[in-house]
Amino acid sequence: MRVVVVVAHPDPNSFTHAIAATAREALTERGHEVTVLDLYADEFRTAMSPDERRAYHSERPLLDPVAERHAGLVKQTEAFVFVYPTWWSTMPAILKGWLERVMVPGIGFVLDEHHHVRRGLTQVRRIVGISTYGSRWWCVKAMHDNGRRTLLRALRLNTAVVTRRSWLGLYEIDRRTNEQRAAFLHRVSDRMRSL
Amino acid sequence: MRVYVVYCHPDPGSFTAAVRSRATGALEAAGHQVRTSDLYADGFEPALSRVERREYLTPRIDDPRVAEYCANLRWCNALVFVYPTWWSGQPAMLTGWLDRVLIRGVAWDLRDGSTRITARLTNIRRLVTITTHGSSRWVNLAEGETGRRVIGRTVRVLCHRFARTTWVAMYNIDRSTDAERNAFLDRVAHRMHRLSPPSTEIAASRRW
Repeated sequence: MRVVVVVAHPDPNSFTHAIAATAREALTERGHEVTVLDLYADEFRTAMSPDERRAYHSERPLLDPVAERHAGLVKQTEAFVFVYPTWWSTMPAILKGWLERVMVPGIGFVLDEHHHVRRGLTQVRRIVGISTYGSRWWCVKAMHDNGRRTLLRALRLNTAVVTRRSWLGLYEIDRRTNEQRAAFLHRVSDRMRSL
Repeated sequence: MRVYVVYCHPDPGSFTAAVRSRATGALEAAGHQVRTSDLYADGFEPALSRVERREYLTPRIDDPRVAEYCANLRWCNALVFVYPTWWSGQPAMLTGWLDRVLIRGVAWDLRDGSTRITARLTNIRRLVTITTHGSSRWVNLAEGETGRRVIGRTVRVLCHRFARTTWVAMYNIDRSTDAERNAFLDRVAHRMHRLSPPSTEIAASRRW
């Protein structure tokens, strides 16, 4: 399977990057074709520019070469793995910006003549999200875990009817011991092997 | 009231820009003091940097823009967000503004040994969101209405305990007529015009 792993964390030594490395290793071992998109390392621009906004509904909505390269990968991938820390109950801005600037009309979805949204990623079979949280599990639930909602509901609406979703969360990360973190990496590895 | 309007749209000719001018016009006409931040005009950088992440628990504010936004947050008692809804939530520019501006010592605090944050924006008693959606209300419900939850739940936790939230939204904007858009602008003006101070303040100003 072709898998795109999207990572969003400013610090390459972070636990988020350790998760992404574990996921990549497990997926590669299983023979999947893995591409890691490290948004901070790629210096991906977060905010949609005025020109991009004006070109959004045109024939050529992708103006930035980085976004265009990512869009080319997105069009071919059969599985997404998103790895990010949850900040203020949602995904980091750079990942939200990635959705806005790469998943443009014609890539992430298709707008029909009545301006209704139609599925654009029908080749995608799996969406996996892996996130770390500072809050406790029930606090995350009370805040409604908006990053998870965006990926497993809003993005899911644009993928194939049969797309399967799964989620892995490490809660209260500031209080986790090294053993608990290692155990979480094992869970990530197991989940990726069974993809 | 002291009202802080945070506006976010890349295109100054957009409908969201028209919504913002109607909203601030109505607020000023009602006698409120208004401060506005236009994130795109400011050239705000929304991605949290590596240094900011490392110093998250002991922030030094290097960016004078962030210091200005923080001062406005401490000054206001009503916070108004004006933005288009993209991918069911705030534009990344505004998401990044929350990531970088809601910092320790301004928006929240963490006591030694505690794992729960305490709210510091208790000066804010009204939270207003004015937004436009390309898709219908049903599609937004299916998508999880994340933008509404980020402000109504997460940001609200940092404000006054009895802060009231107001949601003014237009759905189906891509298929709307001029008349519908004008009606929405009137609705925005009306809602902003009657934005009242919190009831406790009214009670304090009256002599019973």
